[in-house]
Amino acid sequence: MTTAATTRSAPSHLTRLKRRTGGGEALVGFLLLGMLVFIAAGAPWIAPHDPEAIATGRVLGPPDLGHLFGSDALGRDVFSRVLYAFRVSLSVAIGSVILAALIGVPIGLIAGYRGGRVDAMLMRPLDLLLALPALLLAIALIAIIGPGALTVLVAAALIYVPILARVVRGSVMVTKQMPYVDAARARGVAERSVMIRHVLPNSVGPALIQGTVLMGFAIQIEAALSFLGLGAQPPTPSLGVMLSDGRDVLTQAPWVEIFPGLAIAVTVLALTLVGDGLRRQLDPRGMAR
Amino acid sequence: MRALLATPATGRVLDVQRLGVRFEVQDDVVSAVSNVSLTIDAGEIVGVVGESGCGKSTLAMAIMGLLGSTAHITGRVELLGRDLAGLTVEERRQVRGDRMSMIFQDPLTSLDPAFGVGDQVAETIRAHRTVTPAEARARAIGLLESVGIPAAATRYSDPPHRLSGGMRQRVVIATALANDPALLIADEPSTALDVTIQAQLLSLLRDQRDARGMAILLITHDLGVVAQLCDRVAVMYAGQLVETATVEQVFRAPRHPYTQALLAAQPSAGLARGSLRVIGGQVPDLSDPPPGCRFAPRCPLVRPECDSPPELLAAQPGHSVACWADPATHPGAAATASSTGAPRGAAA
Amino acid sequence: MSPRLRYVVHRLLATVPILLAMSLFVFLMIRLVPGDPVRTMLGFRATDENVATIRTALGLDQPLLDQYLSWLGGLMRLDLGQDFISKVPLTELLSERLPVTLELTFLAMGLALAIGIPAGVIAATRSKRTGRASTAFVVASISIPDFWLGIMLVLLFAGTFRLLPPSGYTPFAEDPVANLRYMILPILTLAVAEAAYILRTTRGAMEETLGTPFITFLRARGISERRIVYQHALRSAAVPIVTVVGIQLGVLLGGAIVVESLFALPGVGRMIVTGINQRNYPVVQAGVLAVATLFILLNLVTDLLYGALDPRLAEADA
Repeated sequence: MTTAATTRSAPSHLTRLKRRTGGGEALVGFLLLGMLVFIAAGAPWIAPHDPEAIATGRVLGPPDLGHLFGSDALGRDVFSRVLYAFRVSLSVAIGSVILAALIGVPIGLIAGYRGGRVDAMLMRPLDLLLALPALLLAIALIAIIGPGALTVLVAAALIYVPILARVVRGSVMVTKQMPYVDAARARGVAERSVMIRHVLPNSVGPALIQGTVLMGFAIQIEAALSFLGLGAQPPTPSLGVMLSDGRDVLTQAPWVEIFPGLAIAVTVLALTLVGDGLRRQLDPRGMAR
Repeated sequence: MRALLATPATGRVLDVQRLGVRFEVQDDVVSAVSNVSLTIDAGEIVGVVGESGCGKSTLAMAIMGLLGSTAHITGRVELLGRDLAGLTVEERRQVRGDRMSMIFQDPLTSLDPAFGVGDQVAETIRAHRTVTPAEARARAIGLLESVGIPAAATRYSDPPHRLSGGMRQRVVIATALANDPALLIADEPSTALDVTIQAQLLSLLRDQRDARGMAILLITHDLGVVAQLCDRVAVMYAGQLVETATVEQVFRAPRHPYTQALLAAQPSAGLARGSLRVIGGQVPDLSDPPPGCRFAPRCPLVRPECDSPPELLAAQPGHSVACWADPATHPGAAATASSTGAPRGAAA
Repeated sequence: MSPRLRYVVHRLLATVPILLAMSLFVFLMIRLVPGDPVRTMLGFRATDENVATIRTALGLDQPLLDQYLSWLGGLMRLDLGQDFISKVPLTELLSERLPVTLELTFLAMGLALAIGIPAGVIAATRSKRTGRASTAFVVASISIPDFWLGIMLVLLFAGTFRLLPPSGYTPFAEDPVANLRYMILPILTLAVAEAAYILRTTRGAMEETLGTPFITFLRARGISERRIVYQHALRSAAVPIVTVVGIQLGVLLGGAIVVESLFALPGVGRMIVTGINQRNYPVVQAGVLAVATLFILLNLVTDLLYGALDPRLAEADA
């Protein structure tokens, strides 16, 4: 007869950290994201050169120690330009999601909690916004308001409001069935308090996850719109504009095109990893998309 | 495959020798089944009974070869005299659904919701026989009728959710018996059904056994089912067999303390005495089971010998038990409460 | 009426208010521009006279409701007005440009399905290593901006290897081979990210289905693994795949706008972007209307496909 031979060692610190952040990749994502935010915030101090400084002697220079990402058609340091442009992109992305959350989360909360007519009244107009493809809606808004980084922020926020509202509504509808909500009501807590202090904190998980996904989209949308000339206008630096300009010198100086794109890719990657990690921790049942 | 495993009219259908199943889960190794041996002859219905989590379903899946790669299987399983471990993966697949079949507890989740019930029977036929679609369909209709589904031809294309629970389980049985297997393993076939339907289903199984002469391995936690249907029974606890006997022997004179406690805990027994008897304590953690008898922590008859594992030994012809305290297998052991352990069974 | 038919009718009827609401929004687009849209359109050529003339010509001096109704009436007759700058009737412009966008979108989605579904099945059924590799591919594809990928492809195929042209277009009817030579890179650019989404969805649905009891029962009956995967599991995966296709069509149409500009394809997307840059509002309006209508109709088709795929959905809804 065999006995089951088991040795269960205490989990190492690394394993515990991995589990708390929802997996090894998520940890990488968090760290990466933190680094990127830090870099974006510190661009003015980190950038080795003035992003606008024209240096005719260094036109289309390849990457080297002094110019990590090389130089563009006007001899400007690509690395510094990427830093400043990245700052703008990240601000737009974060700003749009925050703005969308400020509007969408309350709507979703009320719609999900009240249900019935209030729900229909709040969600119907939002659903109409979803009837248009996102980028098209953004372009239409830019057509009306005029181009610019701020417009992109507002347009993206507008697109995201229905998505966030829907996610919050969904998880609120589940949370409000929970026994502790009934218990709070039975204690005589006012409806509004119940909503804000009991239902809301327990429903934000999926919204948080969706938020990271939307941030990733926002960076891509901002880049795409700027690429088309509809986003950030000069002198505001923009990764999308850099990508557009880089095409002219693509074969001679591919680094002008590659690095801004990589910056976007790495950021979206970090956000995706964080989102997946959060999903594993907060929303194993999959209420966010 | 028929040539590979011809059905004898009588004789040993299933021979399980010292079967063990270990799972590797993250950092732990779970010993789900340990040293289980049993045999079933043609026409016999053998029940494996025990609480949830005792490993009886794992045992069934291991015999069928349906456990994934996380399972490590030791021991030997012989079907119709042939060692199943010696077969290739493809040969094992051919054996399943043809020479041995298994049915599960919940008929609704057992059937593909997008396919008609008749099609699913026919699919099983066509997986193992070369027949034309029309022939398969005809046979399927015949099978459905033989398990008691009226107007089988019209219901052939109905998806499972249109049938009642009892009807669905009949369809499941029809698919399992489509190719006339020598062995049918039934894992809690009636648990999900109403009591009245349960009785019908069990008598259906008995009728099929009578008609086809197949062996049935019945997994259940319900001693009432065992009493109705089985010829012999094996009692499982924490992955091990503690007692095997004929149904008569087990109900009349159970020898293992666990079996006795199980029988005493049956509601019908309790009502006669005016109270329900509970088995105190908890099932052991199978990733770290006790080294000796796994029932020892809860046993009223525990003694020092119980630190080493007891063998399943014959107390009488056809009645074996694995217990140090059993006087027939361990002469000299007194079947009384020892000084080291207090009786744990308590009246609720 | 059978439940399925009722489902179809419901969906058709539900589409009408959406189309109307969208048309209202598009209609209001010009009127929402801050300042005077006519002056903006005319730019430096604006004088009080021609501003007034243009305004009357565009019907902008009428009450709002009348404007909307006459605009809708024009839509019914397929009269959308004219390109403000070139004076070409917009219906004509659209009929030239819409096929380009359609070709791009459909071929990209088709390619994505052709790659994504088999890859998803493989990722779900093979070893852990394949699974990890496919996750890496998916994450990478989703993170890379698709137009950047397009530019990299141009660098590779048009720049380094000189296999394919970097931009340009020939209609399919004229010269199929040339058409495909121009379209391969744009289609590929869009298809890669789409294939990643489809792969992910297929894989997830397959993995979930393969864990359900009826699959175990199929194995217990000795049904071949191949049949289990392709006839049973994939069927269950069809609904989530259709869902993601529906969602991604919107993303794809948006991406097509960017890709058209990137590869200088004469599609509706590029028409819209050029229109915005030229302040050519009627063109922008017509383009947005066309793409939005396309999207709504495609979603309708997706919904109808649901009903066909899973009879329980149709029955529950009706």
